[in-house]
Amino acid sequence: MNIIVCLKQILDPEVPARDFRIDAEKKEAVRGTANLVTNIFCENALETALQLREKTGGRITALVFAPESGEDALRKALAMKADEAVLVINDGHPHPDPLAVAHVLAAAISKIGVFDLVMVGRESGDWGVGQTGGLLAEELGVPCISFVDNLENGTDGLIVTRQTDNGWEKARSTTPLVVTITNNEYNVPRIPKTRDIMMSARQPITRLTLDEIGVDAASIRAGGNYYEIVDISIPVKEVTCEFVTGDSLDERVDQFAKRIIEVTQAL
Amino acid sequence: MIDQQIATRQVLWNITHDWVMYVLFAVSLAIAGYGIYLRLSIWRRGVAVDRFDRPAERIKLLLRHALLQGRTVRERYAAIFHSFIFTGFIILFIATTVVMLDHRFGIPIMRGAFYLYFQSFVVDVFGAMVLVGVGIATVRRAVIRPKKLVYTDEALRILALIFLMALTGFLIEGWRIAATNDPWGAWSPFGYLVARLSESLMSVETMTTAHLWTWWLHSALVFGFIAWAPYTKLIHILTGPLNIYTARLDPSGVILKTLDFENQDAPLGVKTLANFTWKDLADFDACTECGRCTQVCPANTVGKSLSPRDIILDLRDLIRAGGSDPMLAFEQPVVNAVPATAAEALWECTTCGACMEACPVFIEQMPKILDLRRFQVMEESDFPETMQEAITSLESRGHPFRGTQSTRVDWAEGLNVSIMADARDADVLFWVGCGGALIERNQKVVRATARLLEKAGVRFAILGREEKCTGDPARRIGNEFLYDMMVRENVDLLNGYGVKQIVTSCPHCFNTFLNEYPQFGGRFEVWHHSEFLSKLIEDGRLALSEKLDASVTFHDPCYLGRHNGRFDAPRQIVRIASRSSVEMAQTRENGFCCGGGGGMSFVDEPKDKRVNQERARQALETGADVVAVGCPFCMTMLEDGINARKGDRDVRVMDVAEILWQTMEVESKK
Ligand code: SF4
Ligand code: SF4
Repeated sequence: MNIIVCLKQILDPEVPARDFRIDAEKKEAVRGTANLVTNIFCENALETALQLREKTGGRITALVFAPESGEDALRKALAMKADEAVLVINDGHPHPDPLAVAHVLAAAISKIGVFDLVMVGRESGDWGVGQTGGLLAEELGVPCISFVDNLENGTDGLIVTRQTDNGWEKARSTTPLVVTITNNEYNVPRIPKTRDIMMSARQPITRLTLDEIGVDAASIRAGGNYYEIVDISIPVKEVTCEFVTGDSLDERVDQFAKRIIEVTQAL
Repeated sequence: MIDQQIATRQVLWNITHDWVMYVLFAVSLAIAGYGIYLRLSIWRRGVAVDRFDRPAERIKLLLRHALLQGRTVRERYAAIFHSFIFTGFIILFIATTVVMLDHRFGIPIMRGAFYLYFQSFVVDVFGAMVLVGVGIATVRRAVIRPKKLVYTDEALRILALIFLMALTGFLIEGWRIAATNDPWGAWSPFGYLVARLSESLMSVETMTTAHLWTWWLHSALVFGFIAWAPYTKLIHILTGPLNIYTARLDPSGVILKTLDFENQDAPLGVKTLANFTWKDLADFDACTECGRCTQVCPANTVGKSLSPRDIILDLRDLIRAGGSDPMLAFEQPVVNAVPATAAEALWECTTCGACMEACPVFIEQMPKILDLRRFQVMEESDFPETMQEAITSLESRGHPFRGTQSTRVDWAEGLNVSIMADARDADVLFWVGCGGALIERNQKVVRATARLLEKAGVRFAILGREEKCTGDPARRIGNEFLYDMMVRENVDLLNGYGVKQIVTSCPHCFNTFLNEYPQFGGRFEVWHHSEFLSKLIEDGRLALSEKLDASVTFHDPCYLGRHNGRFDAPRQIVRIASRSSVEMAQTRENGFCCGGGGGMSFVDEPKDKRVNQERARQALETGADVVAVGCPFCMTMLEDGINARKGDRDVRVMDVAEILWQTMEVESKK
């Protein structure tokens, strides 16, 4: 089975809230001293792919659309034992919209060639839009199953388990297929072995430019036109404290109830 | 009175065919030699390491710890019986050599006063001491039965053999004295006693016959002993001194070896016995089975399965079980090969080093555990999940505390602390450490330290957001690769700023900078904050007249105390800054770990097996009002422990810097 796992590199979401800054002008988060990490759901996707490969055999290609820094995400994927790594260099807008990304990924995948399964994380830890997977399936013209946490090889096609609000759904699907992966207790990304980390440093990474994969590079570099970010801000948490007064307990309870009604109505 | 000048005795007396004795001796030496050869051939399988440098220091160590039994005598009971047997053996060995020189080589030394005072009297007394020693040891094994000992038949056989050797020695001496009517007999008081007692029971003839047979029995026992010893724990008679001679000379903080990540072939860490150094393999054969290491091990004390003694002994037995083909043992992975190296046990070690400090023959247990951890982490990626999280966090965030909401500089809010990037002329870098900056409780400690430095007029700066972990937790957990990378980055950063002096309130950072960074080209003058502050007081730059009105007990951090031998500075602060100070029962080099080292602070210990609670109990036992610490990990571990155990008592855990700062605050409020 040929599996392609798309990975997104994001700003470490565990930056302490007090260290998190945004650049209102550029409408993006300020990196500061924080690191770039692989988005957790993408790592869950890679882990799921690795486990599937253990059962079915095949090859895993890790695909990243990012600036040069994306190499780190790919090296880690190789250390986790992906077979191949492809980096499409983003030399334009730092966070292109999901349609632009899906467009780039689809073009890159066609360039890579045949595939049975494309796996992506269900959403990213930075913007959390959660649409790239679906749009990618659309671009590739193949079906998409979202919120998947397990895949097995069935007699005819794949048995795909997806999480829903009420439990799980099992679907049988033919390939090619796109799945968006969510986490469960079994797809916690493995810690690569140091030996594999050392080896990954010497493995080749295929680099592709936007021009090489045949997309409208100018529009991608501009960030796409699927949506426009109008404003970003860090929510301000305000806490006000008010004491109800009254001579007796009854009176205070009365006052308390009244205030609750007033406050909730004001919302 | 006969002239003492002519005193001597007849050697061999009624023994003929004494050449048989020499044949037996040669045979026993050959058997013993083969036993030693077997051990040597095992050690040669190990990886090379130089432990023969700096001979002068090594000889000193040998005299102190082999000849004078520096560590053995720390335990009173063992000190008595072991020194009785040990010195008895040495004296008897000398005496036998004297006999040989005199009789076989014709050097007339066994004469006169020397014969009477040494060869008769002293030797006799020491022979008796061997008997007494064996008696005490037997009582210990049979009656007292301390838990730390290993109860083997071999140990009992050894005691019986020594007993018989000494006993037969006295018998033949006594019978010779009686039968030859030796005029100097009384100089050998115990032999003389045997002589006088026998006289009333046996005829001269019977004694002569009995002497003959017992003499041969005695010889057979002695030669048997020589032949057998190298195949038993008695080999420590040879390997003990060798092990002491080849012991590490530097503080135990320097003990871990760096790895060469360019050399791709060798496994990272220790996979099979062959990946140990020859010294590690020799360690196995030096063990005396005394059990002290396990007795002092904090993990073992609270009931966990880790037992440094059994790691050594199980691996020794694994090698020996190979019999004629000991190499068999060299092919399987060490982890899980024997019960003591079960993977779970390896993750219970706090790397406190108490085992190494306790071992009378300087066996290095902890580094072996680390070698196995390295393999588990780097080659197998098989280690506790919470430690994995710490490692992942170190990789991506430069600190081990997943999910912390603090930043590197929160603690300094409102203080006027310079950042290195803007204050390149600072004299001192205050290395805050992850534990200091990111754990809320410790923020008060580093704040107090910074204010004290400021008050003393020290021109210092911090790295602020540029600071990253020194790499210590990565190394102790076993990820030497990550450690190596972090150290190199830090060395570049620090050298880039031209840092000369570092003050830190974390003993782990302290140890790493002091002992490990030099191997990577980072050479700094490193101070633990307690030392630096204590020096400021000494120099008159920090004056205090108030004292904290409390009785204080100081808990030694392993990486300041035992691993680096710094015990006095924090105590000095406690002494001058508080009303009174008390010591816990286990203190200084015998200090008991807080439970937080070796990555253990990232592990949730089972509720009934918590090292910190045991240490808290010991601290509470002193009746002190304040438990003083000098380490961010000790702080959290002990505070948890004290809170869980203190009941209604008002006991606080404070860093020495906090104690000092508090006295200043009291003063300034006046
Ligand atoms: S270093 Fe400490 S915890 Fe580890 S085995 Fe030795 S005594 Fe036990
Ligand atoms: S390793 Fe050392 S301390 Fe431990 S039992 Fe052996 S000789 Fe004793």
